[in-house]
Amino acid sequence: MDDNDELESFRQQWREEVTRRSKPKATTPAPSAPTPTAPPPARLPPTRHEASHRKAIEEEGPPLASFDPDELAQQVGQLSVEPPEDDFSRREVAEPTSALEHFERAVEKEAEGNLGDSLSHYRKAYRLDSSVDKSYRNKHYAHVWKKPNQPAPATPAAVTQQTEDSPTLPTPELIASFAHVPISPVEPIVENTPPPPCPIATVPSEVLVEILRHVAMDDPSAFGRTALVCKRMAYHFAHEQHIWRRICQSREFGFQGMHYDFACDLHGEPIYTLAPRYTPFPKDGPVEIPPPLSSWSQVFQTLPRIRFTGIYISTVNYTRAGAASAYSNLSWNSPIHIVTYYRYLRFYPDGSVISLLTSTEPVDVVPHISKENVMAARTPAHRKHQRRTSDAGHTLSGATDSVPPLAMNTLKHGLRGRWRLASPVDTSEISETPAEIWKPGSASDQKSLLSDERDLLIETEGVDPKYVYTMHLSLRSPTVPKSAQFGPAPPNPSKNTKLAWKGFWSYNRLTDDWGEFGLRNDRAYVFRRVRGWGLD
Amino acid sequence: MSSITLTSSDGVDISVERTTAERSVLIKNMLEDLGDSGEAIPIPNVNEAVLKKVIECDDDDNRRKTTDIDEWDQKFMQVDQEMLFEIILAANYLDIKALLDVGCKTVANMIKGKSPEEIRKTFNIQNDFTPEEEDQIRRENEWAEDR
Repeated sequence: MDDNDELESFRQQWREEVTRRSKPKATTPAPSAPTPTAPPPARLPPTRHEASHRKAIEEEGPPLASFDPDELAQQVGQLSVEPPEDDFSRREVAEPTSALEHFERAVEKEAEGNLGDSLSHYRKAYRLDSSVDKSYRNKHYAHVWKKPNQPAPATPAAVTQQTEDSPTLPTPELIASFAHVPISPVEPIVENTPPPPCPIATVPSEVLVEILRHVAMDDPSAFGRTALVCKRMAYHFAHEQHIWRRICQSREFGFQGMHYDFACDLHGEPIYTLAPRYTPFPKDGPVEIPPPLSSWSQVFQTLPRIRFTGIYISTVNYTRAGAASAYSNLSWNSPIHIVTYYRYLRFYPDGSVISLLTSTEPVDVVPHISKENVMAARTPAHRKHQRRTSDAGHTLSGATDSVPPLAMNTLKHGLRGRWRLASPVDTSEISETPAEIWKPGSASDQKSLLSDERDLLIETEGVDPKYVYTMHLSLRSPTVPKSAQFGPAPPNPSKNTKLAWKGFWSYNRLTDDWGEFGLRNDRAYVFRRVRGWGLD
Repeated sequence: MSSITLTSSDGVDISVERTTAERSVLIKNMLEDLGDSGEAIPIPNVNEAVLKKVIECDDDDNRRKTTDIDEWDQKFMQVDQEMLFEIILAANYLDIKALLDVGCKTVANMIKGKSPEEIRKTFNIQNDFTPEEEDQIRRENEWAEDR
């Protein structure tokens, strides 16, 4: 991963800086000319909102002190499966003061991908205390020193040493062994008194399954949580294939909501067609599990699927050399700007999508990204109207009620668009043409461009009405670290939650001309669930 | 409109409209088998309180066509958990699909949005996993969390 190189080079930079700082006499004057490849954007590094929304990182990350980029990448990768339901609720966090606090904040920011802020905190930390990394290690990773043989606690639930000692059944067999385990009621709180009532233990399987079906159809991830309640539910979770089939066929979560042809125009107006729309598992008619897979839960897990229950975020950092400060001729003081910006995508089951490019941090804008808010933010008339009605305590649309001005300003730049997946039907005409060779000038080539059924095509409005942007992405799964792949219970993260870039073009409707965006710094989108999205 | 008599498990006779009673596939089949003899039909698995509640729901059933949990259902289902599950069991036994659906949805709503521990607390379920098993299942099903 190139991330690693970049991270590594940043880290090198500040380490060198610190070394030089400790013996400043040895420094040489700095070459300060900006590199021609990095045109200096007028903007400064991102906003300094010190809101932090993750506390668990330090406890659970791999030992940073080893400065192993692989491990760090793992850590960053795993953040997407951290426990809190979503990270977009703001928490007040005090400004760091001590070196250690700055260091901790820097680690958090780095994990979030915000390297600019991260670097600035690292700098402050080292200026306050040149051995801050040691105190950080001692605070957070002391347990690792004590037990050097233990593997890095890479997943939320670290396996204890006992697992290796006791014989472990393979998971499918383990679950199968739960088949006839009844739900056991809790023990009475006080001995020799009747236990609290547990009527759910009395219902027969078919009724329990019916209940679980309702849970699953409302939110498959809630169904997933029931599997951890008790053995009986774990069994049903794994074995009720008809529930999984219904989920696969549902519009909210399953493949009924996937579009293999554009279902609407750029503004979200539906396209009506007499031709039947392709759907892999039609509700009316027999459906089969596609060959290499053996169960409907695998189908749901494996086949390319866009999520409507959250946001896809691409965090981008790039550096550019700034001019050396006029007040100092020490090289360590010549600034390097790290610019962090974000690309957001929110998909809708009707085939529309919102694309947003901004430097506003997720916590400030993500909960408010919606078609309604984007339209409200873009309409100046509505904004005036909103201001007027805000006195009365409500707005016309209702959706813009509590959107803070920062988010509203950001959402002004939101672009409406539409999306579709590559149709698996067309896989017969596989073309080996890589996306780079493909020139979007011949729009009819799009079919063969989307040769991979994980491919995703998005068209959005441009910043100017005469442009249409075409994004070519491909669904990818998060990588499971090699060290964790073996063993009785390898981690099993959600698949197809990343969107890797394959190409990005703009089309000028006026001149029938295509332009290509470089994507020099761009990173893959990563899915994060947002509370309440996609659930009715 | 003829009415028939049902005898609950605790021996109480309850008179009910025939059309209402026939919402239960079980009773409908019994009536067809027995013919219109006017005899009380024994419902050995359902006690009086639950049976009355079930009939109350059935009486109002024609007001509702959907199986969504609407206001009426919510009010109807504002019973304690033991009663709720008894209604579900009765609906299952008597084969009344609409009522079974409403009951299951009510329970599903109690499960939604809760952590496994909270679900256990809500229903007084004991955690019967060993820590290792729990961890194994958690990893196996990690993908379903979908984040």
